[in-house]
Amino acid sequence: MSNLAENIIPDQEPKIVIRNIGRTFHIKKSPAGPHDFVALQEISLEVQKGEFVALVGPSGCGKSTLLDILAGLAKPNSGAVFIDGKQVTGPALDRGIVLQGYALFPWRTVRQNVEFGLEIKKVAKGERREISTRFIDLVGLKGFEDRFPHELSGGMKQRVAIARALAYDPEVLLMDEPFAAVDAQTRETLQDELLRIWEETRKTIIFVTHSIEEAVFLADRVAVLTANPGTVREIVPIDLPRPRQNSDIRSSPEFGWTRHKIWELLQNQPPADHRAGEQRPVADAISPSAAL
Amino acid sequence: MACAKKGGDAVRPYTRSSDMADTSIKEPFWSPARHLDKLSIVLFFAAWEAAPRLGGIVETFIAPPSLVLKTLVELFRQGEMLGHVTISLSRAVSGFGVAALVAIPLGFLLGGGFRTFERLVAPVLRFLGQVNPFSLFSLFVLLFGIGEFSKGAMIFWVSLWPILFNTINGVKSIDPLLVKSARSMGTGLTTLFFKVILPAASPGIFHGLKLGSGTAFFMLIAAEMIGASRGLGWLVWNAQINFQMPQLFAATVLISVLGLSLNFTFGALEEKLTGWRRKSAGES
Repeated sequence: MSNLAENIIPDQEPKIVIRNIGRTFHIKKSPAGPHDFVALQEISLEVQKGEFVALVGPSGCGKSTLLDILAGLAKPNSGAVFIDGKQVTGPALDRGIVLQGYALFPWRTVRQNVEFGLEIKKVAKGERREISTRFIDLVGLKGFEDRFPHELSGGMKQRVAIARALAYDPEVLLMDEPFAAVDAQTRETLQDELLRIWEETRKTIIFVTHSIEEAVFLADRVAVLTANPGTVREIVPIDLPRPRQNSDIRSSPEFGWTRHKIWELLQNQPPADHRAGEQRPVADAISPSAAL
Repeated sequence: MACAKKGGDAVRPYTRSSDMADTSIKEPFWSPARHLDKLSIVLFFAAWEAAPRLGGIVETFIAPPSLVLKTLVELFRQGEMLGHVTISLSRAVSGFGVAALVAIPLGFLLGGGFRTFERLVAPVLRFLGQVNPFSLFSLFVLLFGIGEFSKGAMIFWVSLWPILFNTINGVKSIDPLLVKSARSMGTGLTTLFFKVILPAASPGIFHGLKLGSGTAFFMLIAAEMIGASRGLGWLVWNAQINFQMPQLFAATVLISVLGLSLNFTFGALEEKLTGWRRKSAGES
């Protein structure tokens, strides 16, 4: 918690408070026999309003579980999440979620997909149309309103998913490896676009990713998670200048240095002493795109 | 567009590659290739008409289409035919309708909420689905009497299974990510069902309804041939024992036409309601 303190402006109430979250899964079928798998252990994190926080870590560190808990789709075994001081008890429209698999409704057009949350919110039809037009425009899909999801490329589908999550105006955007399934070039375009959208909408974003580079490029702070059990190892502030989009910031020495620091943090994870037989280089567990 | 159409298209959950085939560019109207299918049916009827006239086939056995049409018109003019069609259709519709009303909700329960139970009873259901009601005709008569009810029960039985199995499959194959994504927006259970689960399962349900309607119509004729005093099946059977070949053919042709239009209706309905599965990227 020590490095967290220097990033918080004292008189501002944090937007999201994650306090001592623990989540354990009981594994029935495994060669080692039934045992408890500690996915998350004493996770604590505070996120300011309008802040962009990325979560990186190896597979199995519970990043996605943590995001599900934030979304209200899963319950922690211990601890609690507060948004604006109110405890999260279930899913609600104050949080928007964007998943890796797009999860667009294939029977709905781009516009109808974007309007889904607005229908749940019971927004009147005329207003729905106005809002969906605005957000389709924001993600650069003007002219594609009446296309069905299978008529779009992977990158375009993810733009629709972002527009859908933004349309009902949540204050917090939770993104679970949203760009993992698109090719490298589209990915960089989408990262630029996301930063532009973030600056236009000033949402609070929590972004889960496998890629160190993506985390450094996007975030104000990067929370480095360890696996077995999933805990926050360190929170690294990213002091790179903004706006970072459409710039060559990736090749700057500061960028490389920050990326290396996070890489080292992931490399030098403390040995998981309670499972001594299973030590393996953590870098192997991170996707190739994360390696240097 | 900054983001061009490249890559990232690995996920195409609702589009099978076979669906893409019917989006090939249409041939111009005058092209013979576009009328190949119509030509075959014309040739078929021409050959059928010519065969008895040219000899080789005895007209008493194979009535030519012109005679079949004449008989058909006559049967309609006598006023009897419409009665046969109406009674046959009402039997099919009531049996099929009740089957759909039972099978679709049951399919949602088995495929959705009670999956362990579904796994438990699936083999029994599969076995029952293969039971041919005609081999148990006497049992149906014993249980439901000789009247309309036993015929309705048989239609119900044969159309129940395809609808049930396809609904179960449709519900089971719903992408859990869609449900997760809808739930993350705080969607209530009722809304989730009508806005996500029902449309996502609809291709499976429609496939089942289409199969079920075909089976129902097919079995109806057979049921009427075994024990009925009215209806299209009875007409066929009656023509058969009286050796009235034109009447036999007239009834058969009418049954085929009704079956085809049933198939067409369900196909059109399916295209209208679940057409999002078929439309492809090549259009516009």
